[in-house]
Amino acid sequence: MTNDFILFFPVVLVSLGAIGLMLAGTCRCFRLEHAAWASGGLFGLAFLVQLSATLACDHSLYNSLFKDILVVSPFSKAAGLVILGCGLFSVCSSISYFKRNNFSGVEYYSLLLFAAAGMLLLTMTRELVTAFIALEIMSLAIYVLVGYDRDNVLSTEAVMKYLVLGAFGGAFFAMGGAFIFGAVGSTKFHLIGNFVATNGFSASPALLAGGFFIMVTLFFKAAAFPFHAWVLDVYDGASMPITGFMATALKTAIFAVFANFLLADAALQQGWVNVLFYIAILSMFMGNFIAIGQNSLKRMLAASGIVHSGYLLIGLVALGSQQQIPGSVIAYYLAAYAAGTLGIFSALSFLSGKGEQWKNFNDFKGLAKTNPYTAFAISIFLLSMAGIPPTAGFMGKLYIIIAAIKAGHVSLAVLGIVSSIIAMWYYLRLIVLMYFHEAERSFVEEYPCRVGMVSTFVLVLCVFAISLYPIAL
Amino acid sequence: MAHSTFYLGMIPLYPLLGAVCIGLLHIFTCRRCRLPQLVYGLLACVGPALSFFLALRVFFELQALPLESRFFSYKAFTWFSVGDLHLNMGFLADPLSSLMLLFVTFIGTLIHVYSIGYMDGDKTYGKFFAYMNLFLGSMLILVLADSPVVMFIGWEGVGLCSYLLISYYNEDSENVLAGNKAFIVNRIGDLGFVLGMGFLFWAIGSHGFDFLSLKANAHLMTESTILIVCLLLFIGATGKSAQIPLYVWLPDAMAGPTPVSALIHAATMVTAGVYMVARFSFLYVEVASASMVVAWVGILTALLAAVFGMFQDDIKKILAYSTVSQLGYMFAGVGVTAYSAGIFHVFTHAFFKALLFLGAGAVIYALHHQQNIWKMGGLKKKMPITYWTMLVGALALAGCPPFAGFFSKDEILYSALANGHFFIWLIGVLVAAMTAYYTFRMIFVVFHGEPRDQHAYEHAHEAPLVMTIPLIILAIGAVIAGFYNFPAIFGGEQMISHWLAPSVADQHPHGSFLLEFFVIATSVAAFAFGVWVAYKRFGKGAEEPVFTGFASFAFHKFYVDELYNAVFVQPYKVIGTAISDEVEPNMTDAPVTSASRLYMRVGNLVKIFQSGYVRTYAIYMVLGLGIMSLILSQSLN
Repeated sequence: MTNDFILFFPVVLVSLGAIGLMLAGTCRCFRLEHAAWASGGLFGLAFLVQLSATLACDHSLYNSLFKDILVVSPFSKAAGLVILGCGLFSVCSSISYFKRNNFSGVEYYSLLLFAAAGMLLLTMTRELVTAFIALEIMSLAIYVLVGYDRDNVLSTEAVMKYLVLGAFGGAFFAMGGAFIFGAVGSTKFHLIGNFVATNGFSASPALLAGGFFIMVTLFFKAAAFPFHAWVLDVYDGASMPITGFMATALKTAIFAVFANFLLADAALQQGWVNVLFYIAILSMFMGNFIAIGQNSLKRMLAASGIVHSGYLLIGLVALGSQQQIPGSVIAYYLAAYAAGTLGIFSALSFLSGKGEQWKNFNDFKGLAKTNPYTAFAISIFLLSMAGIPPTAGFMGKLYIIIAAIKAGHVSLAVLGIVSSIIAMWYYLRLIVLMYFHEAERSFVEEYPCRVGMVSTFVLVLCVFAISLYPIAL
Repeated sequence: MAHSTFYLGMIPLYPLLGAVCIGLLHIFTCRRCRLPQLVYGLLACVGPALSFFLALRVFFELQALPLESRFFSYKAFTWFSVGDLHLNMGFLADPLSSLMLLFVTFIGTLIHVYSIGYMDGDKTYGKFFAYMNLFLGSMLILVLADSPVVMFIGWEGVGLCSYLLISYYNEDSENVLAGNKAFIVNRIGDLGFVLGMGFLFWAIGSHGFDFLSLKANAHLMTESTILIVCLLLFIGATGKSAQIPLYVWLPDAMAGPTPVSALIHAATMVTAGVYMVARFSFLYVEVASASMVVAWVGILTALLAAVFGMFQDDIKKILAYSTVSQLGYMFAGVGVTAYSAGIFHVFTHAFFKALLFLGAGAVIYALHHQQNIWKMGGLKKKMPITYWTMLVGALALAGCPPFAGFFSKDEILYSALANGHFFIWLIGVLVAAMTAYYTFRMIFVVFHGEPRDQHAYEHAHEAPLVMTIPLIILAIGAVIAGFYNFPAIFGGEQMISHWLAPSVADQHPHGSFLLEFFVIATSVAAFAFGVWVAYKRFGKGAEEPVFTGFASFAFHKFYVDELYNAVFVQPYKVIGTAISDEVEPNMTDAPVTSASRLYMRVGNLVKIFQSGYVRTYAIYMVLGLGIMSLILSQSLN
């Protein structure tokens, strides 16, 4: 019982904190800085609780408490850890970001916590209705956060697009859930798994269609091809810290629920392997091609997110029957990707200036001359995302590719490597601009706040630290 | 009984640590605060001195052991273990390596002390000493190595340091080119060494790849394999020890500071080849033809270098060619399977050649970097200590009894004749006469007669104590080193030959008393003749000669450098240019650049689809959904 509580405590902490912040926001004396520090503290505390739960509690399930609706596995614990870490670093970069941009309110931090609560629930859920609720808790908070800068046309346009297409995607999920319930008579993953195990994967058309629709929603949220188109505009419109948070925490939550859904039964996963296979390849290559054409850093990073979704889909393809191993591979990749992406958004949060006036490739020409440390940090993040040793990104890609080869998908592994070579194009482009070009503008403005900078360098350490963390293969 | 001893590993470690400390100190202080030079100098002497004391300890511990088990080894750690290859970072002390250790550390320490004076006022004083210590550490690894691979680490390490120190005065591009030349020529030799090691491993490596196992398993190899291994290893030796055809780098290597020439290019590194052949003596004795190749290459190199040495006008070049020539003697010695004689010559040569180089350094130092002997003269009065010590060195080099060189050279010549190699002995005697001639030509021109450059002469002065004391110590060494192997004919004990006996597969010559006496008589006669001719020509002062005919040909070193340049270097450059200008841009780069261009095209094409309209995006979703369901339904049927 105590263990159950500890495992659930991060969710409680984050949700209560979100509500508490919202209430405290009504008080005049509760200012923005207080909210920022409070939410950062909550994220940090929840992270530590989650960490101790991950390290200490071997007791994995609390099915007696939630009747198989919420289940904690090592994978969901790791995903929760990544999400809370992302939350903490997003708060840090928000603090420095909002020193220069004045559109924040107390609610901003509260919404971050709400989104995190939804994500944490999403990692644990083993039931379709709960999954839908968690998905919407998360999505609603993210919609608001994307459009938080009301005076900015781009931002309002972005939230508009995201909301319309998100509603479109959400409808698929509800529809798919209904189909599955019709076929199986239950919305619990393990009962669906039992049904597939006894009747076969393609026994019921309703189940097939339901599963398909649910996957469409998940593809949409993970920005996999061909449901990727929104991601560039939305990332472009959202403010830097939010983009970073979306790119990392949201993706982690979606892939957690995705893996949990597929793991319901081996036959279920096998049935979808073909679809996942092609989507993984197309996501990697289309993402690369889109990224090559971009001039805006944010859009490039958005497109590179599509590519990383492709890699994670390779992990899902490899999931197969050996449940534990690729699960850890996916979690590792998510952590590695999160460190790199958050790092670069964290750096951009304090570099992009008022109103994000500098976010194109050419704006960072010659950065290395004036800000050598920041340029070095950005280079590390980019190299990690590109998969150059000894960074975490390299190890993540390595594990994914080994998992694919072990699962017998050598072609997928080869294509993954080819894609990572193409990806060098746009990652190295920024490094070349930073180091080998003369500056066209001066970067010598005072940084308003050290928090974002410190968190950026902590993330550099994370990139190397994660690469040293061994996982069983 | 092989008792493990930790301190064996410390011997190379001290100079290496010194190199790291001095290097870091130099890096951190060269910009801002300049430390006094003495700090670097003293720090640099600590490592070699400590190594010397440990070398003494090794020597005495070995001496206490019974003759048949006179070795001990120390395994520092397992380096790597792949398949059949299990390599330890191991060190082996046996009579051979302990003898090398003793004089390498002893002379190394002296030269470090000397350098404190010689390098005075140099801008990158710290860097010099860091390199010197690094060199000594590498050399000690080479000497102490217990397997060919560990030996190769030292082998490459000394090659690197040699390169760094030859091009030490890197403001002048000629010096850098000389360094390059040394490095590249050495690489050719190294290739031979590596191939030889490869063959050796292929043949018997699976039984263990350290020297002791190799020695124990040598009988498993066929004669032809041994021949190939021996010849390949000897190519390595010709590179490092400047033998025909790879001797060309050593004269150019004199571009480095004089202490470097003394330590690396006379006393220690260049003898590594001889040492290596002696190490592998268990292979060379198996195949007579391999030994013959070694002996003939050695003696011909000795002859060729002696001819060149007779016509040089640069004091260091004369000594350089004399080094090449003496190295040739050493190879002739080991080639006629008189390994202890060869190593003995390495030992004595280290003393008197280091002495001569350091003396030459003192002269150069006094004359403000003047190296042409025809600008010197009459320095005897100005620099008495240098003169007398160099005279001792010259007598030793020329083979005057009872100086060191006489005993070792005589040992080699006697072994050659007693083992039935008449022509090698004959050429050896000829070279001995030439050696005496060019050595005393140098002494007479530099120190006797009237000063040729009055201005330089006025400013010449004796070197400081820190330089002259090593000279005196080495001079004492050059006198007494020979007595360690006092020949049996004079009732000596041949201590070094007996000492080395457990390590090398020596084949003792059994000549008659008469034969030995005859050899000694001819050697002394050759020495006397050489000195007499030199005195006749240069004893009373002589003008700079104008070379014609053969002399001019020899002065230009038979145009060997030009020949190598035309035959090897230029065609190589042409091929390289062709590849970089034609092949690379058109064949290797073109696909890469066009592939990247293709990606950019596709990328720009794909950008069009990002229209920014929600309706378009929704259509993509629906289309994707449609196609996916189509494929799904197809795959199910």
